Amino acid sequence: MKMKLHASVLALSSAAVMCAAGAANAWSLEEAAKPYAGTTVDVLFLDRPGYNAAKEMLPEFEAATGIKVNATTVPYENALGEQVRDFVAGGDIDVALIDLVWIGNFAENGWIEPIDKFTSNPELADPELDMADFFPLVLNAFGGWNGTVYGLPFDNYSGLMFYNACMLKDAGFDGPPATWADLKDVYGPALTKDGKYAFALQSKRNETQSADSFARMLWPFGGSFLTAEFKSNLNSPESQAGLNFRQDLMKYMPEGIVAYDHSEVVNGLAQGDIAMITEWSAFYSTLASPETSKLGDCLAVAPEPTGPAGRKPALGGFSLAVATQADDAEKAAGYLFIQWVTSKANAGKYLELGGVPARQSAYADPALAEKYKFIPALVESWQAGVPEFRPRFAEWPEITEIVQEWGTKMMLGEVSVEDGAKTIGEKMEAVLTTAGYYDGKKPLAQ
Amino acid sequence: MTTRVRRSTLIGFLGPAVAALLLVGIVPLGFAVWKSLHYFNLTKIAQSRFVGLENYIFVLTDPVFWQAMGRTALLFAISVPTQIAIGLTIALVLHRPGMTLFKTLTRLSLVLPMATTYAVVGLLAQVMLNQKYGVINQMLGWVGIDAVNFIGDPTNAFIAVVMWDIWQWTPFVALVLLAGLSTVPPEIEEAAELETRSPWIILRNIQLPYLIPSLVAVLILRTADTLKLFDMPFTMTRGGPGAATEFIAILIERVGNRQFDIGLASAQSIIMLAVTIVLARLYIRLFYREVR
Repeated sequence: MKMKLHASVLALSSAAVMCAAGAANAWSLEEAAKPYAGTTVDVLFLDRPGYNAAKEMLPEFEAATGIKVNATTVPYENALGEQVRDFVAGGDIDVALIDLVWIGNFAENGWIEPIDKFTSNPELADPELDMADFFPLVLNAFGGWNGTVYGLPFDNYSGLMFYNACMLKDAGFDGPPATWADLKDVYGPALTKDGKYAFALQSKRNETQSADSFARMLWPFGGSFLTAEFKSNLNSPESQAGLNFRQDLMKYMPEGIVAYDHSEVVNGLAQGDIAMITEWSAFYSTLASPETSKLGDCLAVAPEPTGPAGRKPALGGFSLAVATQADDAEKAAGYLFIQWVTSKANAGKYLELGGVPARQSAYADPALAEKYKFIPALVESWQAGVPEFRPRFAEWPEITEIVQEWGTKMMLGEVSVEDGAKTIGEKMEAVLTTAGYYDGKKPLAQ
Repeated sequence: MTTRVRRSTLIGFLGPAVAALLLVGIVPLGFAVWKSLHYFNLTKIAQSRFVGLENYIFVLTDPVFWQAMGRTALLFAISVPTQIAIGLTIALVLHRPGMTLFKTLTRLSLVLPMATTYAVVGLLAQVMLNQKYGVINQMLGWVGIDAVNFIGDPTNAFIAVVMWDIWQWTPFVALVLLAGLSTVPPEIEEAAELETRSPWIILRNIQLPYLIPSLVAVLILRTADTLKLFDMPFTMTRGGPGAATEFIAILIERVGNRQFDIGLASAQSIIMLAVTIVLARLYIRLFYREVR
C-alpha cells in the first residue's frame, strides 16, 4: 500500500514536472503576444545610452510580437512632470518610466500595477523571467515600494569613480584613493596644480545637487536625510561631517563647481583637466569612446571611496512598470515589452549596445569584465547599498527642490553648513507634516 | 444720419471673437483663480480641498516670493533703461540720412537676436560663458584677462542674465524707436537743424514727443516680458547658483511643475497678473497723459 502511495506520488510529481516543463517549453513570446498584435504601447524614454540601446533592440520585439512600442524621448528634467500630468489626466502612457525616487509617488497614487499581477499569469509570464537573477538591491530600490515589486530594473546606475590613471601615475599614485579622506588629504593637494584639478563633484542646482553632490556626502560619513522617526537627521554629527567634508573638498575642484552638471565633469575628465570624478556607470561609454574622450587607455574605473561608515555609493536608475490607466490589451502588451527588454536573454545584447542591465548573470562572463572596465566596480557597488540613498516617498519632488536651493547656497558660502542643514531640515519636516507622516496617516516608508 | 446695425449682425461679427477670447483667456484664468483657492497638488489629488485665501496669505508672507520679485525688479531696473538707451542710440544713428547699405545690413542683423528662441539663447549662453571651454573666456584670455566664473558665481550669473537680456532685446527697442522716429515730419527736423547744431536739443524738443507712444509700448511689453522671463535663465542657470537667478516666473514654474502644487502656483500667478495690470495702467496714466 505504502509502495503504491509512493509510486502514485512519484507518478504525479513526474507528471507535474513534465507538465511544467511542457508549459515552459510551450511558452514563447510570439504565442503570448498573439492576442495583442497591433496594440501600441506608449512609453517615455530619455536621451541616454540605455534607452538608445533599447531603441536599437525594439524592431526585433516588434517583429516577433506585432506590438508597436511608441517611445517618446524627453529630457530627464521633464520626465516626471510629463508622466504625472498624463496619469492625472488619464492620458496615453501605458508603461511608466520610474526613477527610483519616483516609485513611492507612483505607487501611492495607484498609477502603476504590481508586477505579480502579470508574473502570476502563465500566459504572459516567461518561465525564464527569473526574478532572483536581478541584483536584489537594484530590484528592491528601483522597482519595489513598501514590500511590493512594481517595476523591473531597466536603466541601471551605480555611482563609480572614473579616473585618469595616467595623471595619477604621473603624480606617483598606483591606484585611486580607497577612502574619501585620502582623496582630500593625499590626492587632492598632489593633483591640483597647473590648471588641473584633483576632483570634480557635479553640483548644479537640479537633481544633480541633491543626488550626486549632497546625498553622496551624507551616507559614507554615517549621515542620512531622516531619522527612523522621520525627523531631520541633517544636523547630526555624522551628516554635518559629510557636508563639511564637501566644503573642504571644494578647494580641489574647479571654481564654479555649483554650475557643473554631468556633462561638465565628464567632459573635464575626458579632456584631461580633472583627475577623478564620481559619476553614474552610464557615462562609461562616453568616457571610453575616442569620439568623446581623450582618455583612451588612461581611463580607469573603481568603486566610490569609502567613508567612516563604509562604502555607500550613489544609487540611481529606472524601472519600467505597467500603468494602471492602460486598457487590458495595453497592459498585457506593456508587460511583455518590459519582460522582454529586461530579460536575461537580452541582457548581453543590451550591454553590448551601451545599456547597463541589472541581471547578475550578465556579468558572470570574465571576458565581459575585461571588455567593459566598469563591470567589476559596478558589481561590487551593487552588493550593498542604500535603497533610500534619496528618500523614495511621494514627497521627494518637494524635498529635492529644498535641498537643491540650500545645498547650493551652502557650497557658495551664502549660508553655513549648520544653518543650511537646519533650514533644509525645518522645511523638509514641514512637507512631511503636511503629508501626514507624524500623525500616523502615512507609514514611515522611504 | 446714422444707420442702426441689427443686433444679430453685431453678434455674428463679434460673437466668434468674444467666444474665442472667453475660451482661451477668461476660462483658464477663471480656472486658475478657482484652483488658487484650493490645496491642489497633482501628486496628492486625494488631499485636494478648499482653503480659501490660504494660498494668497502664504504667497504674500513668503520671503522666497518677495526675494524673487526683488530680483525680477532689479533685472528690470537695470536691463530696460539700458536697452532704451542703447536702442535709442542705434535708432538715431539709423535715422540719419545716407549710408543706405550699412543701415540695411544693421536692420537685418538687429532682427537676429529677437528671432532666436529664448531657450536656445540660454543654452548658447551656458556654452559660451563656460569658464573652461567657453568662447568668451577664450577671447578674454587673448587680451590677458583671467577666465571669469560667469555661471558659477551668484553675482556674475545675475549679471550674465542681465547682459544676455540686453543683447536679445535691445534690437527690439531700437526697431520700435526707429519706427517712432519715422513719424517725425522731416520738414520740422530740417527746420530744427537750421536753428541748432545740437542733436540733444533736437532730440529733446522735436523727436522725443513723437517717441512717447513707442516708449510706452516698449515699457509695457518689456515689463510683461521681464515679469514672465523664464526660458533663457532656466536653460542658462536654472535659477542658480543658489537662488541668484530665480526670477518670479522660474519660481512659479518650480512650484507648479516640479513640486506640482498647482494651487499655490496659481495664487502666485494671479498676484503676478495683478502686478502686471497695475504697472501697465500706471504707464498709460503717466505717459499717455503727456502725449495728450
